Amino acid sequence: MTNLQFISILVLSPLAQGIIKKIKAQCQGRVGPGIFQPYYDLARLFKKDMVIPRTASWIFHAAPYVVFSSVLAASMLVPVFSAEGSIFRTGDVIAIIYTLAIGRFFMALGGLDAGTAFGGEGSSREMTVAILVEPSMMLAIFTAAVASGSTSLAVIARSGSVFYSPAHALALAAFFVAVIAETGRVPVDNPDTHLELTMIHEGMLLEYSGKYLALMEWAHYMKQMLLFTLAADLFFPFGMAGAGSGFGAAEAFGYYAVKIFMLCAGVAFAESTRAKMRFFQLPSLLGAAFVLSALSIITFIMTGK
Amino acid sequence: MPRQWVVVYSITDFITIGMLLTVVAMNSIKRIETCLRAYTLNSLLLALLMAISAFYLDAAHLYVAAAFTLVSKGIAIPLFLKKVVRDLKITREVEPNINTPLSLVITSVLVVVVYSSLSKGIFIEGFTENTLKVSVSIILISLFIMITRRKAVTQVIGLLLMENGVFLAGFSLTYGMSTIIELGVVFDVLMGVIILGVFLTQIKKSFAKVDLDKLNTLKG
Repeated sequence: MTNLQFISILVLSPLAQGIIKKIKAQCQGRVGPGIFQPYYDLARLFKKDMVIPRTASWIFHAAPYVVFSSVLAASMLVPVFSAEGSIFRTGDVIAIIYTLAIGRFFMALGGLDAGTAFGGEGSSREMTVAILVEPSMMLAIFTAAVASGSTSLAVIARSGSVFYSPAHALALAAFFVAVIAETGRVPVDNPDTHLELTMIHEGMLLEYSGKYLALMEWAHYMKQMLLFTLAADLFFPFGMAGAGSGFGAAEAFGYYAVKIFMLCAGVAFAESTRAKMRFFQLPSLLGAAFVLSALSIITFIMTGK
Repeated sequence: MPRQWVVVYSITDFITIGMLLTVVAMNSIKRIETCLRAYTLNSLLLALLMAISAFYLDAAHLYVAAAFTLVSKGIAIPLFLKKVVRDLKITREVEPNINTPLSLVITSVLVVVVYSSLSKGIFIEGFTENTLKVSVSIILISLFIMITRRKAVTQVIGLLLMENGVFLAGFSLTYGMSTIIELGVVFDVLMGVIILGVFLTQIKKSFAKVDLDKLNTLKG
């Protein structure tokens, strides 16, 4: 049972996307689409026919499946509301990050394979951002890992109250910036536009349609939810169901829902109050995130808490 | 002891790290008004830290010092500098001598060096050794800001941040000096800032710019 927690990421990820969109719309004074709109979009896309570029090779067809399955595989390793499952022994947080990287690699290949200028542009930008994000994300994760003495997410999520320290606050800030960059949100990328000069994620998906687009979009929602869950496990490790903690599954799921909702609201507010940055200014933002995470791990090692 | 929560929740650590962050943030801030805001926040955090340690140590003279810090560094100096900046009509720093990502990296290297070289020290109750390390880091980073920036205003802000760092170091090592010395230091800084403000206006008048690179051509 506890090994099947990933189903909640699979099923609820479009809902999280819908909630973020709704909060953003409210911030901008619009009514906005309902929170279940992403489900309708996905259902509609799965029914549509596909248009395949003539230049596309097998990579174009393989990419959506690889992307979707890599995200699904990574989400199996993340404790959602209980850290007891036996599956968590098969991989730690480093495995999760680099399983996601396989998906990213194939998504960039798929963008290149379609043979359009925008696809190549999107792929090149995506890989540049990835290089800049990775160190700050890994250092932020290492802070939490060093604090609880293990890189296994199950151990970190069970570690209880060690998360309260200046080091964790810094690491959370760095991780938040990294999540914003990874999920393609506003200071880095604009998820609501297809303006050719700015798009990153949308650029790679431009030639995809129908089922493939649905798979890619769903994988993107899942990746976002997965990163939120990772943030909840690493930096708010309480309220996990299990033998030692005295929380029931329903109670733990309630905590999980609250944590994810807070993160969704944080992302939506951050997105509504910022303007998109020029692409060549991104190194300053992500460099700042890197310094935050470096400071967090130094602070942790020096203060010992 | 009910005051124990200051230690239990490591409040001083959070505040000192906040001060360090405002100084690190100075490296990536381009707008001068925002630089000023970072300095104000830094001073307010310093005053808050002093007030909290006054509360923790139950020392009346520290409350007085905190009030001085709040009024001079948190309110008077920022207001005065804001007025100077508005009068001189400067809004943006030109590109600093070293670009933002590199200066951020150098900053973190500085912090690593400080943290690894200062391993021992004498501290008063309520502070961890973290405070001294943070204050030395603040001093070095502000020095770095003063070296890399071109506009005189940002260099003045760097100097003031450095002064905050020195103050933090002195205060975390000595329980805070006696009130008369605190008063003297505060007036020193106030006068210094006013003189620097006058200097800025004069430089602007003679060179029509506050970019200090223009002063290179002066020959004595």
